Amino acid sequence: MSKTKINRRNFLKVLGLGGAGAALAGCDMPSTVTLEEGEEKIYSYLAPEEYVIPGVGVWYASTCLQCPAACGTHGRVREGRVLKLEGNPDSAVNAGKLCQMGQAALQAHFNPDRITAPLINGQPASWDDALALINEKASGGNVAWMTGTVSGHQRVLLDAHLAATGKGHHYAVETVNARAWTDAGKTVLGDAMPTLHLDKAKAVLSLGADLLGTWISPVTFMGQYGKFRAAPRGVLIMVEPAMSLTGANADQWVAAKPGTEAAVALGVGHLLMTKHGLSLNGMPNATSAFQSMTPAQVHEIAGVSEAALNKIADTLVSHSPSLVIANASHAAARIAMVLNIMLGNVGKTLTPGASIAADPLAPMMGSSKDLAEFAQNAAAGKIDAVFISGANPAFVAPQGLDMAAALKAVGFKVAIATCHDETTKACDVVLPLSSALEDWGTHVPAYGGKPGVVHLQQPLMEPLHADTRGLGDILLTLGKSAGVDGLDAFEDYYGYLRTAVSAMIGSELEGDWHRVLQAGQFETRAASRAFSAGHDVALGFSETAVSGLHLVTVARQGLYDGRHANSSWLQEAPDQISKAVWDSWAEIHPKTAASLNLKDGDYVRLTTASGAITTRVFIYKGVHPNAVCVPMGRGHTDYGRWANNGVNPLTIVDAHLGDWQSSEIIATASLVKIDAAGENRHLVRLMDTDQQYGRKLVATIPAQQFGRTQGGA
Amino acid sequence: MSTERSKRKPFPWVQAAVAAVVVGASIVLGAQIFERQLHPESAGVAPAPRVPGAEFPTDTFAGKDVEQPINYSHKLHAGDLGINCLYCHTYARRSKVAGIPPTAKCMGCHTVVGTDKPEIEKLTQMWQSNQSPAWNKVNDVPDFVHFSHERHLQKFLFDNPEMDIKNAPDVCAMCHGDMNQVGVAKKMKPLTMGFCVRCHESNQGPSDCTRCHK
Ligand code: SF4
Repeated sequence: MSKTKINRRNFLKVLGLGGAGAALAGCDMPSTVTLEEGEEKIYSYLAPEEYVIPGVGVWYASTCLQCPAACGTHGRVREGRVLKLEGNPDSAVNAGKLCQMGQAALQAHFNPDRITAPLINGQPASWDDALALINEKASGGNVAWMTGTVSGHQRVLLDAHLAATGKGHHYAVETVNARAWTDAGKTVLGDAMPTLHLDKAKAVLSLGADLLGTWISPVTFMGQYGKFRAAPRGVLIMVEPAMSLTGANADQWVAAKPGTEAAVALGVGHLLMTKHGLSLNGMPNATSAFQSMTPAQVHEIAGVSEAALNKIADTLVSHSPSLVIANASHAAARIAMVLNIMLGNVGKTLTPGASIAADPLAPMMGSSKDLAEFAQNAAAGKIDAVFISGANPAFVAPQGLDMAAALKAVGFKVAIATCHDETTKACDVVLPLSSALEDWGTHVPAYGGKPGVVHLQQPLMEPLHADTRGLGDILLTLGKSAGVDGLDAFEDYYGYLRTAVSAMIGSELEGDWHRVLQAGQFETRAASRAFSAGHDVALGFSETAVSGLHLVTVARQGLYDGRHANSSWLQEAPDQISKAVWDSWAEIHPKTAASLNLKDGDYVRLTTASGAITTRVFIYKGVHPNAVCVPMGRGHTDYGRWANNGVNPLTIVDAHLGDWQSSEIIATASLVKIDAAGENRHLVRLMDTDQQYGRKLVATIPAQQFGRTQGGA
Repeated sequence: MSTERSKRKPFPWVQAAVAAVVVGASIVLGAQIFERQLHPESAGVAPAPRVPGAEFPTDTFAGKDVEQPINYSHKLHAGDLGINCLYCHTYARRSKVAGIPPTAKCMGCHTVVGTDKPEIEKLTQMWQSNQSPAWNKVNDVPDFVHFSHERHLQKFLFDNPEMDIKNAPDVCAMCHGDMNQVGVAKKMKPLTMGFCVRCHESNQGPSDCTRCHK
């Protein structure tokens, strides 16, 4: 630093005093700070509703569609515009809370890159022409649908359309899904969505289930987590290859080699049996699987020390009832279910689920299996036409699935979307969709809330773009022209929905409908499930990832699977782990970085069998030395003005299918090679440093002392 | 780093700060003088205070003539015909904004009154084709200022024992000038922070920053 340079501290002092000088006199500076008279327009109402007062907000209830959890929302509407969203306090799913993605639904609505008119082969067209073309090309043969998670009356209409057009299939695609957990629940306990009682558990062991960030219904779990952590404070243990938001909150964070959480879980079971004398009645398969996985083997396979394993087993026994959850793999999830049986948690912290009795409305939850199946069937020429809405297969598919060729092999593709993305670009017809804040719908939350309660989605403002249409309206139109019975009576989806909801609540009265609108939800008959006796399934895991450096792609709350990359708020919201904004990075353990001679900010080329991406290194202790963690969501090529940054790690995931008797894509099974790519540039991060430089901003105590005081050890 | 720091001469920040204050203040004062010269007719004109129990702000501002889609006269409606401000700007007592009256309110009279006048014909035509007039904004404060009409009317009109609702125009005049005298609306008070603060001081309004800058 040279003598003449002003340092930051002095600069701020001068700025402050100078500013004070300006402010003392500046209060009277006219016209430079106030608006120029006559430069802005102001429109009055023609004939306002009685309760509308300009400047005073009115709150309306609706439903969040930013992720499959379907939380209830309240939107503040002022002068005809929706300005702010909050959680609906009456919804038992989210109890008045909303996550950052939910808050950002406003930006999805006001996004300047919205599609405003139908397109045929990329050229603006009229609705009549687009629908005529659809009738001509997609009315017979194998007409498929690809969506994200759908439920409620949209699902009813979609199923009816599928049935009417012929033999098509509905592919529900979600890269961030809980399929491992739901499949394991079904196989072991006969219930795909058991109810979790985090609040009643004294210890929770999570095998890669990021319940505070992205798992099933994060806001529900955040609420329960608060109770779980209230005195007497529950102990949270997390096993995963790269730290998640949940991992960052854990008392004991255990780094396992990518894809080996199942081995850790088996090792825990082994100790529960041999050290603590627990047993499994009538489950010889499971018993022998646990017996054969010794702590020494776990150490070799997963890189988890015997001491850590002992600590997990001891905590689970001393903190009963506990709860074991998993999402890392099908293998791990099955073992987690069996561990719950062994620990006696079933019936205490894990009880049978309950949901809506009207099955056709239940959520159809997505998975990556459907993505792979779609690619295979499309490439084999089995799909004649496809409607795609709420899914972006061209972005999330690994290169190995060759989605571009698969889409090309489908003769006729219709995208129903609010914004252009990589998939709409590949479609023949694009129909402009209303935003979630302009549309009608019913949604059955995938998890949580009161069984039998359906969330209602109502428009919070008039459509911003006159030529857009709601999903229900489009489904209704398609259904009518496909000849679905009983739809001709309805002019629009609002009419259909109102009739259907009135039938469900057993009242046609105007007042009762208004009560539903006001509450944002209504109750119908619930059906509760029961557990079957623990099914003695084969336990084990696919040994695909025990040696070598592996690519780990993770979803973080924010950009999620990439669907929110076109929101500048969520791009600007720092990542929960690295605190980085607006770009991609690869989290690498300091040991790995040292062995490869890499520094923070070095660009590296990550090469798997499927391809390569180049991004910069973020050296971080919260990853296993065998893992290279690249969060997904960035690297868009056609997703509006804010999404073209970073790289997309999903493309270089090797499309290994068949994680332990399932057909999901294994997210952690791709071996990766790291090569320095030359350049070094600073990764922009909020806070930028983990040091306090002696400023004592946050009080700290050593980890060991913390463990002693908080019951962790 | 520390050795470097001890070698360095301390930065003369006291002098620099004084200089910065002087420069900052003179820019601003200069701008004000310049602004007054732009509107010389406004200097020193002070209407008589008319709100009992309150100091009436004396500052004035000579606003531009702003053209409007309909040549509405405040003088005719409020001045000559004596229609209370709050009859049309009905939201002022209920909300932070005073609001422009809905067209329905205009039509309440003008379906029968003055229907042959060209401006009323214009209005009627807009009404029939479901169009709001696109008024040009005359008075405004920046978005970082939270000003509430409701609160000010409460204090100076409704909670003021010496005031009757028929005298509402006097309260409005504190910040808007005497609208009974102008045709199409015009900005007649500076509505700057200095204007607000002086009035808050003389009328014991709140003086904490966050009351207005929320
Ligand atoms: S968890 Fe999902 S549904 Fe709930 S507020 Fe967040 S994005 Fe919306």
